[in-house]
Amino acid sequence: MARELRWWLAAVLLACGAVAVAYLPPRGAARQAGLGDAPIRQTPARLRAQALAAQWRVANLALRLPEYRKRLQPELLRRRERDEPGPALLIESSESLAPLVRERVRPVLDEVSRQLGLGVTKVSVGLVVDPRRYVSAKAAATPSQDFASPAYLFPDSSDRTTCVALIPAWEWTRTLAGMVPARIEDWIRTGLGPCAFYAVYGAPGKEVRHWLAKRGYDLARVPFWDRERPERPQDSFVMYQNGTRWWWRSVYQFPVTAIGCMAGRTTSCRAAVLSGAAEWTGDSLPRFLESDPRAWWRGQRLLYSDRYLADVVREVGHDRFLRFWNSPDPVDTALAAALKMPVGEWTERWQRRFVPRLPLGPAAPLSATVLGLLLGGAAVVVVALGATRRQVG
Amino acid sequence: MLKHTTCLCLLTVMMAMTPGRLASQSVERLQVRADSLLREWRRANALADMVDSLNHARAGGTDTISVGALRIVTIPSPARLREAAARAWPVIDSLYGSEARQLEQRPYLIAPYDPDTTSPKPTLRGATQVPWDKDVASLAMMLLMNVPIGRPDSALQNWLGGPVAPIVHPVQARAAVYVQLVTAPSQPARNCFLGVMNDCRTALTLGQSPDPVDQWHPSAAERRALVSRSFAEYFSYSDHGARKPALQSCRAGSDSACTELLRSLPAGVLPRPLTYDARAALVHVALRLGGREAYHRLVATPGTPIADRLAAAAGVSVDSVVALWRSEILTARPAPVTVPPWGPWAALGWTAVFAVCALRSSRWRVS
Repeated sequence: MARELRWWLAAVLLACGAVAVAYLPPRGAARQAGLGDAPIRQTPARLRAQALAAQWRVANLALRLPEYRKRLQPELLRRRERDEPGPALLIESSESLAPLVRERVRPVLDEVSRQLGLGVTKVSVGLVVDPRRYVSAKAAATPSQDFASPAYLFPDSSDRTTCVALIPAWEWTRTLAGMVPARIEDWIRTGLGPCAFYAVYGAPGKEVRHWLAKRGYDLARVPFWDRERPERPQDSFVMYQNGTRWWWRSVYQFPVTAIGCMAGRTTSCRAAVLSGAAEWTGDSLPRFLESDPRAWWRGQRLLYSDRYLADVVREVGHDRFLRFWNSPDPVDTALAAALKMPVGEWTERWQRRFVPRLPLGPAAPLSATVLGLLLGGAAVVVVALGATRRQVG
Repeated sequence: MLKHTTCLCLLTVMMAMTPGRLASQSVERLQVRADSLLREWRRANALADMVDSLNHARAGGTDTISVGALRIVTIPSPARLREAAARAWPVIDSLYGSEARQLEQRPYLIAPYDPDTTSPKPTLRGATQVPWDKDVASLAMMLLMNVPIGRPDSALQNWLGGPVAPIVHPVQARAAVYVQLVTAPSQPARNCFLGVMNDCRTALTLGQSPDPVDQWHPSAAERRALVSRSFAEYFSYSDHGARKPALQSCRAGSDSACTELLRSLPAGVLPRPLTYDARAALVHVALRLGGREAYHRLVATPGTPIADRLAAAAGVSVDSVVALWRSEILTARPAPVTVPPWGPWAALGWTAVFAVCALRSSRWRVS
């Protein structure tokens, strides 16, 4: 083959490579928004009213939670004196509705507390179920309780032995009577959340407490340490229902570390789990936690982060987890000691239980790749044949 | 010494009081903040309501189109809604009869928008948005598929599997039911096709049965197929996998396990032998037989069994309604696809032409 032809071929291939690098979209890159994708437009005035309502809800919760703790004290004391295990229950509703809710919730709460092993411990749990939509008697007088996630008041300097969980139940008011016990059980477990950890393992050590508080207790939201909870990949909201295709739009809404961990990168997994561990600034920690009502799923620093510590408990057992929970060591050291392996490695393996490894990097569609290769190959063959058959003279 | 002791006591008392005092101060501060936020929210909310109201007024108000009892509240636009309503009204009137008068009080809300601009679409709360240039047939179809008539009682809706609505393509719908009768994985459906009228009633779920599993899916093979094909995933994961062993037994051939699994399904989940289309066709037969007051009679007695309600609506026995339904379905047998005798030869010929084209070689040489 003539030397000039070789140069031409090399230049063409180089140009193709450059074009590919410049223009190939990353895998699953979002398409341009269409006309139908336009979000519902709110006026700036409405947005301001909504922002104020959100702030008021937080302030109102901060007021109500200590009040509930005070109201739960007699029941908690009675339980402690009689060595009666299980959380104290308070139904925040009218006298007509409260007995019905109590009748449905109490037996399931006792069963859940037995399964989780919430005995008579140093930290008692008070559970408040609030089936009201509005905290005021007149609906328009206050913003609605526009959230369905639980809120917590952790033990603090004024009461070191009580953890209060508040479950808003206005969404369930109509269905609670007909709800199957398994459903109520899941609902109550999720509602107990970090308070269940406090009840079983006591108040965490300083390092762990700061780490979890900085992260909004996201790793300790669901106390499912007593049973395996199988999950299908398609229920993860990052895969389509067939369980084989990725829903990229949802994937890219996760933080970078979570995406890296889904892709099997142990350093990303480590960063996702330990994020917040080294951020201690000496500030006082928030005493109460309001779960993010709407975007909690997207805000996860790790896929299925809500059950991370519960799965750690199941894997390492009560005693090793207790040592980690109370450890004065930095979180990464304590957690790695409990897991008996590097945090990133264990987390990467744990993540594989829920979803297969996420393929990252640029990705041309298969059909386009094949077509491009065929066309390129054909062009090279034609040029080469032409060159070999060329006769001079 | 006394002075020292007094100081120490005072200090101890102050230290003991500090957390309580701090807590009460913090509560007061929070209360002030919450009250202030609530006042601000009320003001902001009132302002936002006013802005929304002004925006609505600025949108140019609304028109009301009336055809028969049908009312359409819409934004002024060139959309051909009146012509569409004129086409849809006779169909609606013939289905609901006297009850169609309800529509005077229950208007459609439609917000047509300009399809050729990217400027924001007009807003009309709760309205269906359609482009201006939609043709009359499509608009009429949209009106028929979304008739805002009051929903019937839940017993009728649960049995039917949806609202009583006009059937837009009756011939195709009946043909689809014909295919169901022939292919549904249910013995009553196939027996109905063969002419066993009692099984037609079963397939249409007109009878009251204490055990629908046994009645709707009487053979063990059907039950196993139903569990394996439709509910395998559900039973694998529901109740944290507790029903997985029963699922495996069912797959291994245990009919009792399959039956138990199907009986454990929540009410209304067990698939019925025939779909909504079949029951909707039956309702339409009853309404056609019963005349203008038929729909009124159908929805007037929510407590009675569905079979009795259909009979009351049609004015004849339910067996007659079912028999007429079956004969209409059988008449609507879809035409089989026929290939003309020359079809295969034409296909072979074209294949040969392409093969010859592909195999022909052309040589060229520069000399």
